[in-house]
Amino acid sequence: MHIRSLSLRQFRTYNRLELDLPASPVLLLGANAQGKTSLLEAIAYLAVGRSPLTNTDQHLIHWRAVESAMPFAHLKTEVIHRNHADLIEIALEQKTLANGGTRLEKQIKLNQHTIRQMDLAGHLNVVVFLPEDVELVSGAPSGRRRFLDDLLSQVYPAYVESLGEYQTALSRRNALLRHLRDFGGDAAQLAPLEETLVQTGVTLSLYRRRVVKALAFYADRLHHDLTGGAAWLQIQYQPNFDPLRPPAVDYQIGLLPETESESPVDLDTLYEAYRKTLHAQRRIEIDRGMTLTGPHRDELRFISDGVDMGTFGSRGQQRTVVLALRLAELRWLEQETRESPVLLLDEVLAELDRARRTYLLNLLGNVEQTILCTTDVEMFPESFREKTLLLEVAEGIIRRK
Amino acid sequence: MYTAALPASVVELTETLSALPGIGPKTASRLAFFLLRGKSELALRLAEALKGLVERTRFCSICYNVTEADPCPICTNPARNQRMVCVVEEPLDLLALERTDQYHGVYHVLHGALSPMEGVFAEDLRINELEARIRRGDVEEVILATNPTSEGDYTAAYLLQRLKPLGVRITRLGRGLPMGGDLEYADAVTLMRALESRQEL
Repeated sequence: MHIRSLSLRQFRTYNRLELDLPASPVLLLGANAQGKTSLLEAIAYLAVGRSPLTNTDQHLIHWRAVESAMPFAHLKTEVIHRNHADLIEIALEQKTLANGGTRLEKQIKLNQHTIRQMDLAGHLNVVVFLPEDVELVSGAPSGRRRFLDDLLSQVYPAYVESLGEYQTALSRRNALLRHLRDFGGDAAQLAPLEETLVQTGVTLSLYRRRVVKALAFYADRLHHDLTGGAAWLQIQYQPNFDPLRPPAVDYQIGLLPETESESPVDLDTLYEAYRKTLHAQRRIEIDRGMTLTGPHRDELRFISDGVDMGTFGSRGQQRTVVLALRLAELRWLEQETRESPVLLLDEVLAELDRARRTYLLNLLGNVEQTILCTTDVEMFPESFREKTLLLEVAEGIIRRK
Repeated sequence: MYTAALPASVVELTETLSALPGIGPKTASRLAFFLLRGKSELALRLAEALKGLVERTRFCSICYNVTEADPCPICTNPARNQRMVCVVEEPLDLLALERTDQYHGVYHVLHGALSPMEGVFAEDLRINELEARIRRGDVEEVILATNPTSEGDYTAAYLLQRLKPLGVRITRLGRGLPMGGDLEYADAVTLMRALESRQEL
């Protein structure tokens, strides 16, 4: 798939933007703080209804518009698929309430019909690579869980459904645990919530296991090539509750756990094991006032040549791991959706040496549409620039170069 | 607000009205001035009605519906099947079922649904009373008619688990597609539930 047109009103630095894009690489040139990243952000926002850079949608509205009487932002894109086209629109409007506060109204439309955010899945798939993505490897586990959630949500509505139900049941159970600790009450109220956690939690866990297995397969090869054949990469899914193996997978760095047994286990056995664990933990969890078992505590680790990259990798090694991971994500999306997602790369070349740069640019030849940002056009060889649409970004205005 | 320009009694009424659900400060002052403008008869009737509401109504000691006579007319009606109890969240749900004119059993009003995040737990609902009522032994069937929301489903699941050991028949209201609806526009969850609760013909 590719983006044919993009239209922005009062989004970040863009007061007004109308842009037509080709099904080929697009290179955005410009100094810092001119709006290159905001353009990628707009496309990612249209894809999933959530910004990769902020959780506060209010920040997306142009700063000057925020001071106007009726602040709003509007984003629109036309996406071309193999046999059809989709028109995606998102409108943000900041309303002032009678009590002086403000409320943000968000409306998402697909082909002129209002839809829920979760129903955006599959109409525009993107893979975004930002410089701060290195946090994925070095940062907190919640970032890695969000990575898995976002990726799976782009493809499987059933995953989104289970994730929502899981999170609601989890918040309820935690509130109930605290209430039981502080005021007492009937602990049997936990059981229906645990049942929801069991059913949806196993679903989440199985989806995650499947996607990590595929990502690990692609990323291993890509990492090997990106490092000029120097290092392989292992991606390990470490479910907090793993019904395939008994819990307590506390391994030491450098000591890899033995290969997973992939013997199929029937769902009822999984449910039962999970149910028992939750039940057995009740007393401890009431004391702590929180649920300690389940996919909300899953972990994902990146191991290269026996070394955990999150803890011991250099900045450069971590960047290579993330790049391999993003490219693996691209391959997986192609595989699952039978369509090429749109690839958004922000300042990645600057971080790579010449050999890796060439490898990456060659790879882009197979992607339907890649949109890249750079401050330095010289980093791209002549042969690449010839096939690429060059656009100059300055103070929220885009010109053909 | 511009309260200094208004008599205290008008301000008092406006502020009281705006405490009601769905009524903001603007609607509240509009209502207050409507009552003020020569409609003293209406204002007094309203005052009487409110007074009556507070003084004469109470909860039925059997089903916990709002009533003036205890037990309520439904619980004392010999034409109704006292062995069939329909459990609802709110008195308004009971009214909706009554409008069908098809249900001839009695009710039990919980006054809410389990919602731990909003601080509503089993002890805040009329669940102990329901259990005691069934233990007294004159109930054969309990129909769980909580709302088809996530809180309603949670409440029904909890009730099922709690009442099952008492040996009564427990049923749940059927769920599925609305009349006059269209399969094409039904959401996935509704369709899924409709499939799950399909019936043999």
